[in-house]
Amino acid sequence: MRKKQKQKIVLPPELPPEVPDDEIQVSDEDLQFVDQNRDYAGFVSNLDTKSITKHVTRVADVKDDALESMYERRLRKKSADKDKEEDEVEVDPVDALPVKTLDGKLYYRTVPSAAKKSETEATAASEDNGTATPMVKLTKAEKRAKQKKLRKEAKKQVKETAQSDEVRQAPQSEVLDEVKKELTAEEANEKKKYRLAELGTALLVDPESNIKSLREMLQIAKDGDHSIVILGLKSLLAVFKDILPGYRIRLPTEKEQQMLVSKAVKKTRLYESTLLTAYKAFVQKLIALEEQAVYKCVAMRCICTLLEAVPHFNFRENLLVAIVKGISSQDDVVRKLCCATVKSLFEHEGKHGGEATVEAVKMIAELVKVHNCQLHPDSIEVFMSLSFDEDLRKPESSEVDNKTKMKNSKKKRKLVEPNKLPASENKRSRREIISKTREEVKADYKAASFAQDVAERRRMQSDTLSAVFQTFFRILKHAMQSLVSSMGESFSLPLLAPCLNGIGKFSHLIDLDFMADLMNYLRKLAGAGSQKNDSHHLTVSERLQCCIVAFKVMKNNLEALNVDLQEFFVQLYGLILEYRPGRDKGEVLAEALKIMLCDDRQHDTQRAAAFVKRLATFSLSFGSAESMAALVTLRHLLHKNAKCRNLLENDAGGGSVSGGIAKYNPYATDPGLSGALASVLWELNLLTKHYHPAVSTMASSISTMNTVSNQVSHSNISPQQAFVQLSHEHESFIPASNTKKTSNKRKKGCSLSFPISSASKDELMTLADENAVRNKLSEHFLILDNIVENERLRTELYCTNMSLKLCEQYRKQKKRIR
Amino acid sequence: MRPLDENETTQVFEKLFKFVGSNLKNIVENPSHEGPDPNPGRYCFRLQKNRVYYVSESLVKRATNIKRENLVSLGTQIGKFTKTGKFQLTIQSLNLLAANAKHKVWLKPTSEMSFLYGNNVLKGGLGRITENINPNDGVVVFSMSDMPLGFGVAAKSTQDCRKMDPNGIVVIHQADIGEYLRMEDEL
Repeated sequence: MRKKQKQKIVLPPELPPEVPDDEIQVSDEDLQFVDQNRDYAGFVSNLDTKSITKHVTRVADVKDDALESMYERRLRKKSADKDKEEDEVEVDPVDALPVKTLDGKLYYRTVPSAAKKSETEATAASEDNGTATPMVKLTKAEKRAKQKKLRKEAKKQVKETAQSDEVRQAPQSEVLDEVKKELTAEEANEKKKYRLAELGTALLVDPESNIKSLREMLQIAKDGDHSIVILGLKSLLAVFKDILPGYRIRLPTEKEQQMLVSKAVKKTRLYESTLLTAYKAFVQKLIALEEQAVYKCVAMRCICTLLEAVPHFNFRENLLVAIVKGISSQDDVVRKLCCATVKSLFEHEGKHGGEATVEAVKMIAELVKVHNCQLHPDSIEVFMSLSFDEDLRKPESSEVDNKTKMKNSKKKRKLVEPNKLPASENKRSRREIISKTREEVKADYKAASFAQDVAERRRMQSDTLSAVFQTFFRILKHAMQSLVSSMGESFSLPLLAPCLNGIGKFSHLIDLDFMADLMNYLRKLAGAGSQKNDSHHLTVSERLQCCIVAFKVMKNNLEALNVDLQEFFVQLYGLILEYRPGRDKGEVLAEALKIMLCDDRQHDTQRAAAFVKRLATFSLSFGSAESMAALVTLRHLLHKNAKCRNLLENDAGGGSVSGGIAKYNPYATDPGLSGALASVLWELNLLTKHYHPAVSTMASSISTMNTVSNQVSHSNISPQQAFVQLSHEHESFIPASNTKKTSNKRKKGCSLSFPISSASKDELMTLADENAVRNKLSEHFLILDNIVENERLRTELYCTNMSLKLCEQYRKQKKRIR
Repeated sequence: MRPLDENETTQVFEKLFKFVGSNLKNIVENPSHEGPDPNPGRYCFRLQKNRVYYVSESLVKRATNIKRENLVSLGTQIGKFTKTGKFQLTIQSLNLLAANAKHKVWLKPTSEMSFLYGNNVLKGGLGRITENINPNDGVVVFSMSDMPLGFGVAAKSTQDCRKMDPNGIVVIHQADIGEYLRMEDEL
């Protein structure tokens, strides 16, 4: 305790023994001496007795902790009174050593005459710092290095603001800064930058010998100046990216350290341990800095780059944790960075041997669980870049195959054996020897090669897959629960869309056991919107997506069992009616039509006919794009189901082919019970007069399908393509020739005659067109208005005329009577 | 001919429900366009000589003019009551069931003949199957060209069917259209 005190404060020298003033007897000799040498003793009068006594009495009695707090209070008081002037330049202590009073204050000589007392903490550490760093900086000043000039300029601007920031810092750090600021702050920063660049290039050139400079760079990065920290981080990042080795560093155990090893090994060990500690400190710093908003972007970028570059190295888990946290952040930039990193991690599995994938996926699953599925959809989008081996499900079947193969081979052997006993014995022994040697070779090869064991890889992939599906099912369950539970509250299911996409993509890998549950969920979700209370329901697009996914799953698992998805057809039947062009996505509807109706499937005749009839009704109600998609599907269905063609005949009531139901029920929810076989497709007649030539040709070709025996031109476009083609045209609204289709179709009888332009000029033309169109339309309607007005006036005129005539007649009659 | 009493009606409806589920409403309230009356009448069930018939009302009215001993059959027979009083669906109800069936099974062409001889449906002969079948559900059997072949009772659920070996029984046979030839006398 005492020692500390001694270091902190400078105790005044011990006083001479107390002698009361009265008893002091000044001898004559003394008096004489003093009179003769006034100058000698003149200092006594200059002594600041007051402060000395104050100091002694105050410090002597106070205890340790109180002493410290006292000094801190004093510092704070003094700094609060202080004014800061940036013009003031403090002279480098080397040139003019500071003066220290008994109080422990250091007086620095300042160039302007205004003598400012600068304070330091009365600690030896700061003193050492104060004296040490100026020395180091002087040596730095002598060195020059190549520097990226752009950074310098950018940093200068930041520095001005940084300097003004420093004014308001806490008094203690103020003090430290002052100690460091022997020259101007600018110059000091520049020196730090040069130092950074120097160290960096030295490290890149010869990492092994200069490994200790990593520590120095880290030290610089701990600087208080914001820009210096960023620079430091960036240079450390560049250095690490290059020098980190291609293998994981495992620090030597106690035993190994005690062993006698060669110099080279010792050197490598030292190098590796320094590298590892420096890297660890860097990673920790990055993770700590990521919390602060100022450094968030930079730190995130550093973390992402590190993980992309060296995913196999130590501390990968910490980096992964930080990144997965950032996957769902509100900040767009951070989130995009993290998602891009995770995607590249999934795609380049070779770098890290698949373990990072498993970890990352598990962490994302955890995140979804914790946040209860309220995350940004990007966080699940990253799953789409996962890729699995195709035969991931095969292990069960391969075992079964092996068993059957064994059985077969046994059987065959039993048949073969009795004939070839003696000859086969030799062969068998030879075979055994050969197989034994083969196994040995294999084992050696495996040990030597770095290639991954197939089984290992498969295990990791199945882990990943199970985590992925866990997440998907959790999201589905959450969606279900929110649908069931929330009454009138609005809820959001942001993750549902990417989840459905993912299930569709990986549907061929789903285990059969989960199939039933999955189908259950999908069925309930697809039917969710049909409830009476519309406050909570899925959008039409989402429900369509559910149907699409269900079909994809079913199709990919055909070898298991061919299941007929009756419920989903019922849903689709209803959804076609609920579709609204502005609100819902037409492409999703087109895809649903394609997958459910057009793909090669056998349909119940009643059901097919019901869809045919409803699609015809649908195509009448919407724009040309939807009409085209519906008509394509319609034609396809009519092709496949010959019995539905009696819908094209003008035979209402269906006759004998109509099945059980005699009358068409347009509002039936179940396609099988609609009785569509008893209806007629009169809509096609209307559609042949459609304004869009493609639609009208298609409609007329469909209506003549029965009579025209040879199928002349059957462009096999899917409803999706039809929709896309026509929607593009629709947007420009120019009767231009379709550049994609080979046949040229001209608009017939369009009142707006515009030159046929190529697709590139479309945008330019649209504006002109719109105005011209507007003008023409306004003219037209003006004329119409005038006509109507005219007529009205004329009828009024006629009426008044008639009434006048009537009046005259009446008067005439009156006169006659008189 | 008489209408069914309560017990009998419950039995008939229960049996029908196993096959058609919620579509029972369609069967019972089916509008019938037969007869001179412009307004569509209804279908109803009548019992004659232990056999249950599904008849339109207009037809019933006219059938009352025939003596009981001389009335052989009217409308469509859907089933009959056994001596012990249990109701069984017969093959003549196939059209009605097929139009409103909830659970359907499609047979591969190779195994159609087997079913038409009265055998059960094996998994190897299964072409397609509707989802969500539970054991002991009524199932209507179709050929791949959507022609109804008969009906039966499901032995396993759809999920279990997926994992079964190819020789397992999926549908237990109850009636098929081959009976028109095999059991001509008994119908």
